Amino acid sequence: MNSIKNLDWKLLNTPLVVFLLLFLGFPVIVNLYYSLSEVSFQTLRAPELTGFGNYLTVLTDPAFWQASWFSLRFGVVTAVAECALGLCLAIFLAPLIEKHSALMAPLMLPLMVAPAMVGLMYRLVLHEFVGPVPYYLYEWFGNSPSFLNAESAFWTLSVVETLQWTPFAFLLFYMAYEAIPDEVRQAAQIDGAGPFQRLFYIDLPLMAPTLIIAAFIRFIDGFRVFDNVYTLTGSGPGGSTTSLPIYIYEAFFKQGAIGKAVAASVVLFLASFSVLFGLNWLSGRRKGATK
Amino acid sequence: MSNTAKFKLSTLAVLAAALMSSVTAAQAAVTVLGWPGGSEETALRAVVDDYNGQANVADADKVELLFFSRDGFYDKLQADMAAGSDAFDLNLLATYAIGRYAPYMEPVDLGPDAVTTFGDSVLKTMQFDGKQYGVPTDLSLHFMYYRKDLVAALMADDAAKAKYAEISEKYLGKKLEPKDPNDWTWDDWAATALYFSKDVNAESPVRYGTVLQMKNLLFNMMVFQSLPRSYGGDWMDASGAITVDSDAYRTGLEMYKMLYDAGASPRDSLSYEYAETNAAFGSGQTATALQWNAAAGELTDPEKSPAVADNVGIVAPPAGPDGRADHIHGLGLGLNKNAKNKEGAIKFLKWMATESAALDYAKNGGSPALAPAVVAKIAAERPDLVQLGQFADAYGYVMTGGTSAKALSVYELQAKEFTGYWSGQQTLDEALARTKAGMEELLK
Repeated sequence: MNSIKNLDWKLLNTPLVVFLLLFLGFPVIVNLYYSLSEVSFQTLRAPELTGFGNYLTVLTDPAFWQASWFSLRFGVVTAVAECALGLCLAIFLAPLIEKHSALMAPLMLPLMVAPAMVGLMYRLVLHEFVGPVPYYLYEWFGNSPSFLNAESAFWTLSVVETLQWTPFAFLLFYMAYEAIPDEVRQAAQIDGAGPFQRLFYIDLPLMAPTLIIAAFIRFIDGFRVFDNVYTLTGSGPGGSTTSLPIYIYEAFFKQGAIGKAVAASVVLFLASFSVLFGLNWLSGRRKGATK
Repeated sequence: MSNTAKFKLSTLAVLAAALMSSVTAAQAAVTVLGWPGGSEETALRAVVDDYNGQANVADADKVELLFFSRDGFYDKLQADMAAGSDAFDLNLLATYAIGRYAPYMEPVDLGPDAVTTFGDSVLKTMQFDGKQYGVPTDLSLHFMYYRKDLVAALMADDAAKAKYAEISEKYLGKKLEPKDPNDWTWDDWAATALYFSKDVNAESPVRYGTVLQMKNLLFNMMVFQSLPRSYGGDWMDASGAITVDSDAYRTGLEMYKMLYDAGASPRDSLSYEYAETNAAFGSGQTATALQWNAAAGELTDPEKSPAVADNVGIVAPPAGPDGRADHIHGLGLGLNKNAKNKEGAIKFLKWMATESAALDYAKNGGSPALAPAVVAKIAAERPDLVQLGQFADAYGYVMTGGTSAKALSVYELQAKEFTGYWSGQQTLDEALARTKAGMEELLK
């Protein structure tokens, strides 16, 4: 009986395994091979195995570390901003949305726009001569700051990203907030807990798993940002707005350094995998501690 | 076999035959991958319609058009060609990318009409290693656009001239007098740009004296290149040594930075490219702009640029100690090595090289560089094409190494390092040293 069940399990898993081998396993093997090779567009089908030179090039390239620092900063800043704003909106708007659920639709609109379009849109919105933002700043204050020079581009890009993705965090937090049983809040109220005490001792602890997951998802999205940054500022003056995906894209297509680009993506993959592995390990420890 | 089964089988056979014939027809057509958007696409669509309408063009040789988006066009094209794509028979070709795509293309013989239509120098913009890889369609170079009303007012006012001299002495170290833009040196242009900037001269009637395209983008480096070139700058010398770390490049880079830091160009110039420059100049708040010739139509059209159209003057880029220089950059169409319908594709290329096709292309908004006798036939309708031909002939240049396989990467490198200097993230010495090292690696 057990052996039949075992066979069923194997058969049922076969499509998934084949899919993973084809669509993940094969590219990973090709990528690994390319990352250890001298390869260009001309020699795409005949790469020459050269060892770890590409990894050395990437790891000793100041531009790689500059891009990593940009991605890390961007990921952290936008994740924190989106989660903070999303949480505030979820808590303050919850009573209103409970009565008028249709309000949810306009709040979700920014999520419907492709990130590349958002970049193009802000290129227009912030343009000194045709954009509404500088126009009104000139009208009201007689001047308008530079939004996209080397010093301010990072913060402008962060605001653009935050404006687009805060609704995502808001949606998750609103659902988590609504899932908390009213009885718990009422019991706390009867026990004399004020609004802030209820927020900090009831709501936030019960929403903690959602908060962590949302922050993590937003960090990953921010860390791997490409579209809106690329359409708004490109890689920026002196490479100042080059995220890691833009670094990889430019190495691959602009420089034709395919080995270097693939080596950088392998490094990125290993770093991401380490973070995931670390989080999984921490989660396992937490579960063990609560048993 | 029952009648129903026979009927089903024969229906299936008819359908299969129809499908096969439609596939064959689709394969037989000539597919052209063109440059998307702008006047180039409009003109190409028009001439293709005219070509397909000719009685002597067989159905199997009719031309179909295919367009990617402009963003990352050359990267996508390279990926497609390297993968051996046969999705198009003819593809866009650019002077600075011929070396990059030549391995995936086949040289073509355009026939005797080509020399008469375009002339030798223009045909050379589509040559690599002495072989003709395509038919030239558009030639791009740069015009110095300026506001005729502003410059005329400046030259007619003694008090303004005194202010102009004061500003030029402060920023350029010498007292200059306003000149006719036809006689401008780069110093004259810089002094004019400073004079017409509110941050430098509160009395200026416009906000900025110029608009510099300083985004980290390879095309912006093409616009910049003519400044150092007119001071004798080049990428490499006859021995192949990289010469970018030169006084000529230093002068050009420092002049851009001085103008940007002084507030003579919009504050967001470090994110500006073609479209932003047109918007800035077209708004009526900018006195001059070094911009692509393709912008002439938009900036002189009263409907598209009502604030400035009647007052736009066009001259060649200013002169340096080595005279004037105008960076030329040709677009054209060439033959994919994996083309499915090579014969039909070559037929279309040869037709594009005829005088009538080139004039048709020009009438529909394209910017071909035509031989003097040919351009004379369209001078009344397209006066900008006369200037295009004159400037290309008199001042046009290609940097040494500018058609090599890594030429585009050189522009990318310069864009990154030079914008790093302009934005204050690195010194001029660092920027030039890094550019030189990178170019040595790319052009070795």
